[in-house]
Formats: sequence, C-alpha cells, structure tokens
Amino acid sequence: MTKKNGNKGQIRVIETILASFFIMFALTFANIFAALPTSPRYEATELQKLGFNVLQDLDEKGLLPRFVYNNEWDNLRAALRVTLSADTHFNLTVYDLDGEKVNDVSIFYGDYQTFAASKNIASVSYGLVGYPVQVGGSYQAVYEPRTLILQLTRG
Amino acid sequence: MRKLRANSKGQFVIIAVLLIALMIVSIGAVMSRAVTYYKHEPWEEYLTLLGNVEISSSRLVELSLANYTNSASPSSSILKNNLQNWQGDMSRIYPGYGITLAATLPSGPYNVYGATATYSYGLNYTWQKRASFSVANATFTLNVTSIGLTGYKYTSIAFLNLTILSVNTDTSEITVTVKRENSEPIFNLEQDNFQVDGRTISKVSSRYDDQYIVVYTIKCQGTLTLPVTVRVWDSRGIKVIARYP
Repeated sequence: MTKKNGNKGQIRVIETILASFFIMFALTFANIFAALPTSPRYEATELQKLGFNVLQDLDEKGLLPRFVYNNEWDNLRAALRVTLSADTHFNLTVYDLDGEKVNDVSIFYGDYQTFAASKNIASVSYGLVGYPVQVGGSYQAVYEPRTLILQLTRG
Repeated sequence: MRKLRANSKGQFVIIAVLLIALMIVSIGAVMSRAVTYYKHEPWEEYLTLLGNVEISSSRLVELSLANYTNSASPSSSILKNNLQNWQGDMSRIYPGYGITLAATLPSGPYNVYGATATYSYGLNYTWQKRASFSVANATFTLNVTSIGLTGYKYTSIAFLNLTILSVNTDTSEITVTVKRENSEPIFNLEQDNFQVDGRTISKVSSRYDDQYIVVYTIKCQGTLTLPVTVRVWDSRGIKVIARYP
C-alpha cells in the first residue's frame, strides 16, 4: 500500500510530460498551417515595399520611363495591374518638378469607395530623370525629372 | 530490481525538468524570432530606396552620354550639370529621407574594357576608328541621414562599342558588332538603329558568332566604296560612329 502511494507522484509527472508533449505538438501543428492575417500595424509598410519593388522592376526593364515620357498611361496602368495582385488597389499620379500633374488620364485601379474608406494607404515616391526621344535620325536626351506618387491599399 | 525501483523516484523529476527547460528554450527562440522580425523590416524598404537611387543615377549617366553623343556641339560639362541638378532635385522627389548624393567624375586617360578613354568630366567618345566607343563614368557617394547611412559608394558606367569587322564591296555588306558595358553584346538592334553615310540600308540581319556572340550584317543598296562610315544608336540613345578602314 505504501508502495502504491509512492508511485502516485511519478504517474502525475508522466501525465504532465505527456500533456506538455500534446500541447507542444498542437502548437507546432497550428503554427505550420495557420494563415494569420497581416497585422494592420505593418500593412502600410508591406504595401510601401511592394510599391517600391513594382516601380523599380518596371524601371529596370526600361518600361517605366517609356510609359511615363511617351504618355502611355493605359499601358502603365495595365503593367501595374499585371504586376500587382488583384486585391491591391492603386492610384498613380505623375508630377513634374514644379508639382504640376502630368498625367491627364487617371491611372487608377480598384474601387474609389474602398480607397476612401481604407485606414491603411501606403504612399510611395519614385523618381525618374529623363528619357531619350527619337527625333528624325537622332535622339534628344534631356534632363526632365518626373516624380511618381503611387498610393496602394488592399481591396 | 526492487532496489533499482526504490532508487528511481527522482529520475522522473529530472526528466520533467529537462523537458520543461527544453520547452522554455524553444518558446524563447520562437518569441525572439517574432520580436526581431519586424525590427529588421524597414531595412528592406530602405534597400529598395537605395536601389531606386542607384538606378536613377545610372539612367542619368546614360542620359548625359546620349545627350553628349547626339549633340551637334557637345558640351563635356553636361554630365556635371545634370548631376548638380539631380543632387538638388533628389530632396524634392524623396522628401523626409535626408538624402544627399555626391559624385566624382574622372578626368584623363583610363582603361575601359580594353580601350583607353580620355575622360573630360566623366565623358568621352573615340570615334572614326574601326573599333569606336562612347563612354560615361561617375562614382557616387550616398548619405541617407534618416537611417544613419553614410558613405555608400557605387560607380555607374555607360558604354557603347561599335566595331566594323569587315566590309564586302562585292555584296555591299558590312559586318559589325555592338557591345555595351562589361563587353556584353546587344541583341535587339534593327535597321532603324544603324546608318551608313552616303548609302541607304536595305536590310540588317543578326546571327550568332562563336567569337563575338552576336554579329550584325548591314546590307546596303548600290555599290559600297571604301572608306565606310557606320553610325549606331542603342535603345538608350547613345551614339557611336565607326569608320573602315
């Protein structure tokens, strides 16, 4: 009888160990498969990075200066739509150095109401220096900076 | 056996303590990763900003070389002037970052991809030769005070080389190679990119070559007479004029 009472503590310890294993296993399993929502606190930063990367990618390919300096606004909008995910709404505005808006056509994708109601709107500023334009048999390469302001939000 | 059983009471406690310690360490590692993840995040944003500034600087060097090589009266201070303007305009394009950009332009003879270029304010063209080229070079030092970055250096080079390999007067064909920075061949040139002085080009074709990778054959109308002068413009607008022989 004394021996039986002596083993009681050991059983409790084994139970605790097993329970701990179960809890650890459950936590690990949940951590692997859980798709946690992005924290609103960091959402703007994530979108800002995304915006920078998209514009930089288009610039590296030589598409961004071509679209901006040849006023190919529809092509620019299509390129951004293809590059960004479907749930990312954007509004791009092109300014010259005097702060005058250059794009006469809206470069916008998404729902205006979603944009207006969203609490997390990221804004990215991106600079272009100029673009050589073919005139006759030669090229004109003039320093003519443009500032691109890209606003992003999730739909 | 009975003796062993009697002495094994404390072993379970030790194992439990060890396992709990292991779990604490594991949770500690997970928590540490969770805390430090967002701590490093802004650096990725700043890296894209640095990438944008670097690309813009390269574009400015290319634009200045295109202006220099296409101008009827080229000014060697065009790169210097553009850089000064860009340094001032950068704070308006990227407000709040505290970006300052300084540039050094080489002057005098330098070796550029096997050829000697005598720079004037970072610009040079050596034309009217079988192997002709245009080149621009600038070394930048970038400071971004908002993140405490100082002395970030990088060099931007714009280069275009046109070499006339052969001229066949019987078939009126000129064979040339066109290369850019790091002696990389340019693939996407068409008839509009070339001009032959005094002749009309009827066709431009490209083919693979073991030695030069890409070789362009310019077919001209009429009979070719030596010497032959060929002009080329790449997609960046940079011009080179080569002459054979």
